[in-house]
This record gives sequence, C-alpha cells and structure tokens, in this order.
Amino acid sequence: MKHRFALAATAATTALAGAAFAEGHGGTMRIGITQNNVGVDSYQTTYERAFIEAAEANDMVETVVLDAGGDVARQIAQMEDLIQQEVDAIIIWPTNGEAVIPAVRKAFQADIPVIVTNSNIAEPGFDFVASFSGPDNITQGQRSAEIMCDKFKEMGIEDEAKVVHITGQPGYTTAIERAQGFNDRLPEVCPNVEQIDQQPGDWNREKSQQVMEAFLVKYDDIDGVYAGDDNMGVGALNAAKAADRAEDIIFVGATNFAVGYEAMAAGEYWGSIYQSPVDDAQAALQTAIDVLNGEEVPFLNYFDTPKITQDNMDQFTKPVF
Amino acid sequence: MSEMTRQQIGGLLARQGILVAFALFMIGFALANQRFIDPDNILGVIRSSAILGVMALGVTFVVISGNLDLSVGSMMSFSTIVVLDLHDKIGPALAIPAMFAMTLCLGAFIGFLVGYLKLNSLIVTLGMLSAIHGLTLTYSGGKNMDIADKEGTWFSIFGQGEALGIPVPILLFAALAAVLGIALAKTPFGRKVYAVGGNGTAATFSGIKRARVVFSCYVLSALCVAIAGLIQASRSLGSQNTVGQGMELEVLAAVILGGASLLGGSGTIFKTVIGVLILGFIQNGLLLVGLQFYVQYVVTWVIIILAVWLDIAAKRGKLWSPIA
Repeated sequence: MKHRFALAATAATTALAGAAFAEGHGGTMRIGITQNNVGVDSYQTTYERAFIEAAEANDMVETVVLDAGGDVARQIAQMEDLIQQEVDAIIIWPTNGEAVIPAVRKAFQADIPVIVTNSNIAEPGFDFVASFSGPDNITQGQRSAEIMCDKFKEMGIEDEAKVVHITGQPGYTTAIERAQGFNDRLPEVCPNVEQIDQQPGDWNREKSQQVMEAFLVKYDDIDGVYAGDDNMGVGALNAAKAADRAEDIIFVGATNFAVGYEAMAAGEYWGSIYQSPVDDAQAALQTAIDVLNGEEVPFLNYFDTPKITQDNMDQFTKPVF
Repeated sequence: MSEMTRQQIGGLLARQGILVAFALFMIGFALANQRFIDPDNILGVIRSSAILGVMALGVTFVVISGNLDLSVGSMMSFSTIVVLDLHDKIGPALAIPAMFAMTLCLGAFIGFLVGYLKLNSLIVTLGMLSAIHGLTLTYSGGKNMDIADKEGTWFSIFGQGEALGIPVPILLFAALAAVLGIALAKTPFGRKVYAVGGNGTAATFSGIKRARVVFSCYVLSALCVAIAGLIQASRSLGSQNTVGQGMELEVLAAVILGGASLLGGSGTIFKTVIGVLILGFIQNGLLLVGLQFYVQYVVTWVIIILAVWLDIAAKRGKLWSPIA
C-alpha cells in the first residue's frame, strides 16, 4: 500500500505547485514536451496520458504536447518550434542521446530551461540541461542483484549458485547501466555466486529465448537468470520451461511488464523492478515546475523504482504494458 | 578414370560451394564446443531458424523474379500481433484464417503496386516496411499482446508442439520448403518466375504475363510471412509490436547467402535453406563458443563474407578474380 500512497502524494504536490512562479511571472507556466515515440509501446502511451492528466489537474500549468514519432529530425524541428513559441520550459524524451544536443543547446541559449525525461542525453549536452528526470538504471541493476542474492540466501545456495545474464540491446545506455549495476553489486552481496555468461537479448523476447536455449545447452548447472527487462526474462523462462529446467532456476528481471507480473503470480518468475510510466510522467512535470519556481533541483532527479517479488507483489497494481 | 572423378568433384564443388562452406563452419564450431553437435542443440537451432526460414522461402521467389521485399519483417510483426489479439476475441480457429486473409491482402496490395502499376519494388516495400509497422501500432495501440490463458490453448502446437520427436516449426519449415522447392524447380509457374527475373522482355515475347507472375510472388511471400507469424505467435504466446523488426535484412542475407542473385533469374529453395541454416548456426555457435558479444557482430559478418566468397570462388574455379 505504501507505493500507492507515494503516488497519491506526488499527484497532490504537483497540483499545489506553481504558486511561486505565478507570483513572479503573473500567469500560468507554459511547458512544452517533445516525446520519443508515443504508441510504439504501452509504456510511452501510458506516459503521455498520465502527463496530460497531471497537467490538466494543475491550473497553473499549460502544456504543448508533441511527439517525435521516433524521428530525430522531427524532434529537432519540434524543439525549434517550442523555442519559437517561447514556452517557459521544455521537456524532452530524446529520440537519440547525441543528435538532439544542438537543439537542446539552442533552447539553453534562448534561456528556456530543458528537462530531459526517461533516458538522458549524452554527456557533452549536460551543460545545457536544467535537470534529468527519470529512472536510475544503475540502482535498478543493483537492486536486481540484491533480489537475486536474497533469494539464493533464503534457499541456502549463496555459496555455489551460478548465474547467467541477458542484457538489453548493446550500445543502449539503459542496457549498459543496468548490466553495470548488476555486475558491480552481485559480487558485493553474494561474493561466491558466479556469473558464468552474459549475452544480449536485444529487448526482444524471441531473441532472449534463443540465447537462453543456447545457455541451457552449454551449462548443466544454472541457478539464476538476470534479464535486463521482463520481456526478455519471460523469453528465458519459456526456454527453461521447454527444457524442463524452469523449476531449478530463479528468474529476476527489471521494468516489470504485465507478462512478468503474471509469471510472478503463477510462481514461475521470482522478481523484478517496478517502474511506473505514471510516476515517470508526473516526475518529469514536477521537475519542470520546480525548475521554473527556482527551487533547488538535483541534476539527476531520479524517481523511485522499488523492488517487486512474489512476496510483496500484492502491494503493486499489475502494469498496463 | 581419375580425370573423370576429379572433374566430378570439381563440378560438385562448383555447384555446391555454399554447402562446402556450411560443412566447414559446422566442423569448426563442433571442434570449439562439443555440445554444438548435441542433437538437442541442432534441433533447437533449426527450430528457432524456422521462422526466419519460412520467410526466406517466400522472399526467394520474389528475388528470383527480379524484385525485392523489404516489408516481410514488419509484415511478420503485423501477423503475429493480429493473430494473438484475435485469439482471445474470436478463438484460435477463426483467428488463424482471419490473420492469413489480412496478411495476404497486404501481399496482394504490394504485388499490385509492383506488378500492375510497375512501381520500383525497393521503394514500394521500403515504404511498406514503415507503413505496416504503423498499421500494427494503430491496431494494437502500442500494447504488447498476450494470450490470457497460456496453458489451456491448443494454439501453442504450431510453435511448441512436437510430432515424432521433431518440433512442429521444423516440420512446417521442411514441408513448405519441399512444396515450394518443387513448385519452383518443376512447375510451369516456377519456370515463369525464373524467366521473368532472368530476361523480362524475352518472357513477355514467350507469352508470359509478367505482372501476374510478380503479383503471385508477393502473395506467396505474404503467405510465408503469415505462416512465420503463426509460428512466432504460437511459440511465445505473446509479443511486442517490434517482433519482426530488422528481420527483412536477415531474410535477404539468407537468400543472397544461398546464392540467389539480386538481379533476379537465379537461386534455388534448397540453397536458401542452407543460407538460413548457416545464419542460425553461426549465431548459436558463437554463443556456445562464448565470444564477447560486441565481437560477435564482426565475426558474423566475416563468416558470411567468407561463405559468399567460397561459393563464388567455387563457381568461377579460382580464388582470385579482380574486376577487369
């Protein structure tokens, strides 16, 4: 229940904010957002809906909601449009962490604060960004390692367990950071657990299933699988089920998807990291409002993504994606 | 006598250079990791190659007829998402024919544009790649599709079932390869496909209706995509919208690896199957060898180029052949 309470609290603060800005500017704050690719997956679809709802609930905020459709060129054009319209702040969900930097710089030079949401832009652009609002992927990887280790300890196999690791698409920041968090944290909490292999599943369930099939052929002894998201985790689970080895293996993922949640409910999948697009959207809007109100906002403004396992899943609603 | 044998061996090499290359890789990987030739692994690889393979069979017809099909990847995503969605709405018995009908319509549309409006197939299918992706997203609203009752549906037999100890996807792939192989090599339709791709003008003067042949090739390709989508959907009983993304290039790689000319007029189903298997076993073999994955992309490319070169060299009878 704690988590739902936190959600309600965020919504309430969002509604209250804005007063300070209004005193200084004598009006509503206009916030433009250019999103990555609404409709490409349920996460982004839900994000947009939550963002619009949060903005409508706040009388002090007026929004211009745009979507780049995954197209870098269109996103850059949208940035320029927003600068032309002289909005008070711009939120960007980058289609590409490198290519959007010049557009972000342009907004910075026009004195419009830019808030990056969900996935950060590349480091050379950090100087032009007011704040990044999104999930902390390194912490997510670390927490997955802790979930895995705790379960091994509960089973009493923390001294001999062997783990395989299926990462997201090579080269993607989210994939790299989660893998890094997991790989760094696991030896700290469970020094005797051995990670025997690591291969990419490209965020793709079918690809992950193939990778796991190869792991099952290659290794007779696998006690745990960590996948960079639940979609791939469920692919690995399917492979293990087909080989009749699922019951001996602990599956831990990240970004809890509906399929992962269901597999947890069925007792086949142990745990994941709960990341809500609603929290993500509200955090982005709140960060923009705080920046406009002149509040101290950390450069990396993470929203919390808690651990979810079979033990505590009743405290979370089933993800919509 | 020994002359003859040598000639025969030479002839065999020239015709089946790709097969020799395939055998070499298999031996190499088997030496690197014993488990590579474990029957379970081999069946597993062929099973996961079946989806790509089925699509490659259809594209082989399109390529031989002198055209390209870059839309098969997103078309496969479409079929998969549609059949999964309809499964829970109208039941699998109706969902499957409905999905086939919709996918065939897409194929017919492309065939119409390329065959009867004589538009360039690269442009048409490249455009359809994103158009169909958009169609899929519009249909699904971007949501992942999942069958609610995963344990209780007979729909899983196409992807997860077995008959006589052999996984159903392999049986479907093999059966389809046999039927299409015969259709291409032994029937008047097959000969027309070669004729249209080899020399279109001559084909017209021989009384072949080129538009109709091209149209049929795209419908056939869509049929294969629908079967691939069915296997894909049935294998994981759930899917994201991007499941087939990028597969058009893998499919094309397999077809070209099998020796079909991008200019049309040459290629066989058998060699496409070998091309598909090479791609599948390379991926699996590199995983089992345990190479760091960034390196795998490079090694995959090297192996493909090596295979193509061996094939070409065998045909020409010499390794060194500069453009003169």
